[in-house]
Amino acid sequence: MMPPQLKIAALVSVGRNPASGAPRAARNDVLALDAALGLAREVSVLHAGDAAPALHDYLAYGAASVEVLPLPPGADALAPLAGRVAGYDLILCGQRAEAGQGSGMLAYRLAKALNMPVVSAALEISLLGDEVEIVQFLPKGQRRVVRVSLPAVIALHPLAPRNPRYVYASRRAGRLLSAPAQVGAPLPASPWQSEPAVKKPQKLKPPETRQGHARLLGAIATESKGGALVREGSAAEKARAILDYLRANRLIGF
Amino acid sequence: MNQERKRLDPRRPFLLNPAGLRRIILGATGGFDASLLAAPAHKPAAKPLRLHGDPAGYLLAAAHSQRGMLDAHAHQAIAAAALLATPQQAVAVLVFGSLNEDLRAYGADLVAVLPGADELGFAPEQELAWLDEFVTRYAPAHVFMPDNETGDGDLGRRLAVQLEAEVATHVVELKPGAVAMYWQGGAALARGPMPLVVLIAPDVVETSLPFSGAGETVAPPAAQAPPGPYQNRGLREIAASALALEEADFIVAAGNGVADIPTLEAVAAAFGAAVGASRVAVDEGKFTRDKQIGATGKTVSASTYLAVGISGAVQHLQGIKACRHVIAINCDASAPITKRADLSIVGDAQEVMTALLAGLAQRNWPDTARESV
Repeated sequence: MMPPQLKIAALVSVGRNPASGAPRAARNDVLALDAALGLAREVSVLHAGDAAPALHDYLAYGAASVEVLPLPPGADALAPLAGRVAGYDLILCGQRAEAGQGSGMLAYRLAKALNMPVVSAALEISLLGDEVEIVQFLPKGQRRVVRVSLPAVIALHPLAPRNPRYVYASRRAGRLLSAPAQVGAPLPASPWQSEPAVKKPQKLKPPETRQGHARLLGAIATESKGGALVREGSAAEKARAILDYLRANRLIGF
Repeated sequence: MNQERKRLDPRRPFLLNPAGLRRIILGATGGFDASLLAAPAHKPAAKPLRLHGDPAGYLLAAAHSQRGMLDAHAHQAIAAAALLATPQQAVAVLVFGSLNEDLRAYGADLVAVLPGADELGFAPEQELAWLDEFVTRYAPAHVFMPDNETGDGDLGRRLAVQLEAEVATHVVELKPGAVAMYWQGGAALARGPMPLVVLIAPDVVETSLPFSGAGETVAPPAAQAPPGPYQNRGLREIAASALALEEADFIVAAGNGVADIPTLEAVAAAFGAAVGASRVAVDEGKFTRDKQIGATGKTVSASTYLAVGISGAVQHLQGIKACRHVIAINCDASAPITKRADLSIVGDAQEVMTALLAGLAQRNWPDTARESV
């Protein structure tokens, strides 16, 4: 079994209901919290930002307390988080935040700051001594098994097969712990301009340089490539053509 | 009535313009030159090269291949680099895994292939070392990668962190020098200057380009990363039959031309494929509604799509747009699916399916297919 002194942290953020925009517990972070609670009884649940009421949801999902690291609005959460989780063995977080930028970069930047390995798209996590085995999500029904040595940062995939339970009594029993506010450095001006997403983004297209006739031809032309056509031969030869095609393109493994 | 009417000579001299169109020579008369007619009219002209002369700078694109092919998302990353490059900038492409296709159509000027990279393996440090060497070699203004879950999104983020560079992820709009992406879970659109590492979302770039790249092969990076903390323990595959159709990689689909459903299911089971159906087959009650593929059913993205007895109405073809390899078995050689399919077998579906099952049971055919690659 796992050594008792293993220190596990779950990083949680304030999510956003996609329909109403109301703050809530972020789905991916709930999965990270649930996975952490499945590995150890004591988990440090950390949030960088304001002590928002939505953080009480994490108490309901099993956190004994949520430690809030104060952060000026818009500031980078990396520095306070990296300072707080230094010395932890396993740091779990959701793969992508629901509010804010949601770039999915935090796990990578945190791992770089702490000089730890990072694995994303984790579905299942199990501890094996001083290593951790992770089942990673891949598209097309494939899963990859990866092992990393501890300490490590792991980002949970949204499809992680976990079933977190919401318990109102734990929500009432838990507490938000606020660390004293720190005076942060003034923020540099951000080059990013945010606007409500009303218009559809424009697709990048080559500029139209063709003249009249060519443009009309292009508008009516269908891109019919049409592959090989096998008409002749017995059914066995036709079946063989299919199998040869599949093998030539490495679509079957035999 | 005896007045002479001026007639046009239908065989008057003409020239073929670069687009392959006939253009008459005004004022010229007489002579019909048969050699001119021999040239095929309306032949698609070769696309012009985008880059002329020595490049003054580079844009990079990098992606993982699967079974020797890049997917549409990776093509879009290369096309994005080609469309955003200035006339003096070359597009260098680094492919992790083997490559059997031509990337010139997507604007690739320099192509480096790393056939040694395990397509579905996990070696982030080794891949990062290769990519880092490639970036150092070309000092690109931007690196474009598809933000996908097959390794490129992960590698792009690792690169950005390693280079301590600015990065834009899930980019939904690209303009010269600027990118846009969704914030607040899709409620806000943020615009900003184009950073070094650009991870693009799917379907934000048009890949049919009016120009072509030079497609020159260059030496792949040779950096070797020291053994790190990551161990790849292999793949765990889920049977395609247990997957939802949208996630399946191999689909055997039945249409009106299939009467014997058990044989079709046996073929699917032999390939480890999921079973789908066209609207006609579903309406007849042969399959449940959740198996329907097409405009009113599911949109699938399997690598292999074996269409048995499906004529290929546009509504059905719409559902299989993203399929990479389409194989059709149909008794009608002029069915629309033959235009979409990469391999069309004209014949009775039942006979071919039975022969397929027999062939799969034997599995002792000579290994000639691999040599033809």
